[in-house]
Amino acid sequence: MTDGLHAITVTINGEARPLRVAPSRTLLDVLRTELGLTGTKKGCDVGDCGACTVLLDGTPVNACLVLAVEADGAAVTTIEGIAPAAGQLHPLQQSFMDLGASQCGFCTPGIIVMAKALLDRHPDPSEEDIRFGLAGNICRCTGYTKIIEAVKDAARRLAAAPPPAGR
Amino acid sequence: MTSVIGRSVTRWDTLGKVTGSAVYAGDVALPGLLHGKIKRSTVAHARIRAIDASRALALPGVRAVLTHADVPRVLHYGSPHPRSASVTKDQYILDTTVRYHGEGVAAVAADSEEIAEAALELITVDYEPLPALLTVADALAPGAPAIHAVGPGGNLVLDPVVVTRGDVAAGFAAADLIVEGTYTLGRPVPAYMEPNVCVCQWDALGKLTIWTSTQSPFMVRGTLAEVLGLPLTKVRVLVDHMGGGFGAKQDLFQHEFLCALLAQRTGRPVRMEFSRKETFLGGRTRHSGSIRLKQGFRRDGTITAREAEIVFDSGAYGSHGPGVTAVATASLTSLYRCDNVHLVGRCVYTNTPIAGAFRGYGVVQSYYALDSQMDEAAEQLGLDPAALKLMNAVRDGDLAPSGHPIVGHGLEDCIRRGLEETGWAARRAAPKSHDTGRRRRGWGMGCEMHGSSAYPGIKEQGNAIVRMNEDGTVTLFTGTTGLGTGAHTALAQITAEELGVRFEDVAVVHGDTDVVPWDIGAFASHTTYMAGRACQMAAAQVKAKVLARAADRLEVAADDLDIRDGVVTVRGVPGLSLTVADAIAAERGIPAPQLVGEDSYRPTKSYSFAAHFVEVEVDTETGQIDVVQVVPVHEIGKVIHPVAAAGQIEGGIQQGIGHTLTEDFRVDPRDGRPLNASFVDYKMPLAMDMPPIRTIILETAPDEGGPFGAKGVGEDPIIAIGPAIANAVHDAIGVRFRHYPITPEQVLAALAEKGATPTPGAADQPDQTDQ
Repeated sequence: MTDGLHAITVTINGEARPLRVAPSRTLLDVLRTELGLTGTKKGCDVGDCGACTVLLDGTPVNACLVLAVEADGAAVTTIEGIAPAAGQLHPLQQSFMDLGASQCGFCTPGIIVMAKALLDRHPDPSEEDIRFGLAGNICRCTGYTKIIEAVKDAARRLAAAPPPAGR
Repeated sequence: MTSVIGRSVTRWDTLGKVTGSAVYAGDVALPGLLHGKIKRSTVAHARIRAIDASRALALPGVRAVLTHADVPRVLHYGSPHPRSASVTKDQYILDTTVRYHGEGVAAVAADSEEIAEAALELITVDYEPLPALLTVADALAPGAPAIHAVGPGGNLVLDPVVVTRGDVAAGFAAADLIVEGTYTLGRPVPAYMEPNVCVCQWDALGKLTIWTSTQSPFMVRGTLAEVLGLPLTKVRVLVDHMGGGFGAKQDLFQHEFLCALLAQRTGRPVRMEFSRKETFLGGRTRHSGSIRLKQGFRRDGTITAREAEIVFDSGAYGSHGPGVTAVATASLTSLYRCDNVHLVGRCVYTNTPIAGAFRGYGVVQSYYALDSQMDEAAEQLGLDPAALKLMNAVRDGDLAPSGHPIVGHGLEDCIRRGLEETGWAARRAAPKSHDTGRRRRGWGMGCEMHGSSAYPGIKEQGNAIVRMNEDGTVTLFTGTTGLGTGAHTALAQITAEELGVRFEDVAVVHGDTDVVPWDIGAFASHTTYMAGRACQMAAAQVKAKVLARAADRLEVAADDLDIRDGVVTVRGVPGLSLTVADAIAAERGIPAPQLVGEDSYRPTKSYSFAAHFVEVEVDTETGQIDVVQVVPVHEIGKVIHPVAAAGQIEGGIQQGIGHTLTEDFRVDPRDGRPLNASFVDYKMPLAMDMPPIRTIILETAPDEGGPFGAKGVGEDPIIAIGPAIANAVHDAIGVRFRHYPITPEQVLAALAEKGATPTPGAADQPDQTDQ
């Protein structure tokens, strides 16, 4: 690492990706710039808004608060990786579309990823659980009404037909 | 045919949003991309003696630095309605004077954002301090220095707006009761989720392409062309998806000019993105200020006179100050009928962040005062506030603020429906068991009306081009912007309905000023109303052409034909039909005809209405106000897409709750430094804070000016919620607040003054925050 870059390997949406990154580089910037995964959004870059939520070994994190080198050896799931297969949608994605839970859409990827983490832990969440689960995700368009409805709807869909294991 | 109007079809923009594939301006990647950053002033008012950028230019990886000496010195409209009365021409790209803390003074392009940021630190600016006028009172004080050389003087953005009808003196003389109060307005910010961002690239022929997050691409094109001295053919503006704007992204911001110039200087594409902090510093706020309002009433509740003095703080530049002041002032002629009004609106420059356009456009402020005072008057008259508002509600034929007659009884309908839905009479009559408890609940209601266009302040025009392809599918070209409202889906619904084809057979092309018809921008609640009508008109032209072709083929008169679900049918002749594709198909080697319709619609004015009913709970120990539930009733004419319309209402209520209870962008009263420029310190209502909202939409006063009778809904929902909350707080604890936001500290102070702190040992109410 004479160039000051660190060699790391991160499993991104199921695919092992060897990377060389500066130690100061955030996971968010690496996802968006080096990997072209621009679905993960930068709304504040300081951990206040939740737009950059991704799963790090299954746990939701603000990608702007994680250094890329910290993700070495870990599995990262972004909005691009939560659908069960290409051409299909995760029930959360379908419910967000069907119920109008996305307006400008800038918070949507982070909220869907956060909601997936919630449903992975609590398949049958109460409204309170959902609101608490999304407490760190700012949406300025919807008043959260349709987002809450969509998460409930997705929970029902998942209970009725659990999808195959995600990537 | 199953009508697609009124059906909540799946918005076609959401698939990209839920999968992460939707492209926003900040997602654009280009080879050789440089990163631009703005050096922002650390003083509120100063002349720049000198800027030394030599150390920045020497930093490896820095490709260009621009200061005021390097950019065209052209006075421009910071806002996108050139030559309208709504905006002011008072900005330079970079000036030799800074007028607020955070104003850009220089810009850097570098190989990375990190290098650009490091370079900013190496630029030194020598400021000659000028007196900072941080309040309206400072700016209006006799002898205060002028912040701008332009304008009418006295630090006014425009000459006072004066609206007079009838005889106010006679009206007050005839009053049995006079109520007067001064309402103080906080400084909320739009806080769109996507920070301002653009990417600029010049081609070999000297043409600029800019990807930018704007509500008004053609205004960006026009203003950039004007300032950079280019013909319109040399500026192309691209906007695919954008992460909210709420009015503020009508303006051009400094980075859009600077990014273009940095790309020109370096010969490479440049990207500039605001940090979240910069969206506060260099963004646009709602106008703060004050409103003194005085009304006379007869004993029966008739309003005899209304007098108001509005003073708005414009911040350092005019932006939409003239428009906001005019709209706010005129708004007080109406909502509640009054024949005698005298209203004066002023807008004042100060050395604070720039106030601009923000959802509600001055009416959030004016109706907070008006509706709160109606509540107060009802109390003094011994009337139910809902009854007082209902008896005075604007109705069919009344003169609207715009000077047009009101269509229909929308406001009365909203109030009556809300009264039924909430069981208002019983709730208001219920004994106040909470007079001694810790948590005290109350109900309040507020009303509003808002125009579905900016007329008469701006003479708008909606345009559309509709083209039928040779397979019978349809392409709609629209210059409107996809702000996140779902408007493009609504436009496709309107086009499909008018033309008689299936919704899924209509595709929308938007977001490229080289391709789509000119558009004034997505604002003023007018996209569905105005551009929608233009789509309908253009679609009707195409339909006529299709029917003429079909008439030849079917050998019947075109007047006997109609199109439903993509099939041409003959009235009275079941079984005789032709698909649209067959009707227009190539025949005998002759290509299918070019079937294009294009039309323009210049709207006048149409008003939508709402009454919001709110229950709050006030914790008398902490001062915390929780909104427990909201029942908004809106009348918006024919609803094109119910889910999208409800989404507008719910989101507007969220912002309105924030305005009323927590949101206030503060600057240090000593030096103008912003104090809470982050999402941690600027408090917005989030998932845990938002109450259940039971949205009710009425279609009782459709406007023939809109497509299928549709009216606007974008701005309405943020207006009535504020006074509804303030009135509910009064119902809960008997304290009348005449300002926003209403903070817990103020609640506690008011209760202490009233001697109304909880009685020790009184039975506590169970915690009923059932959200």
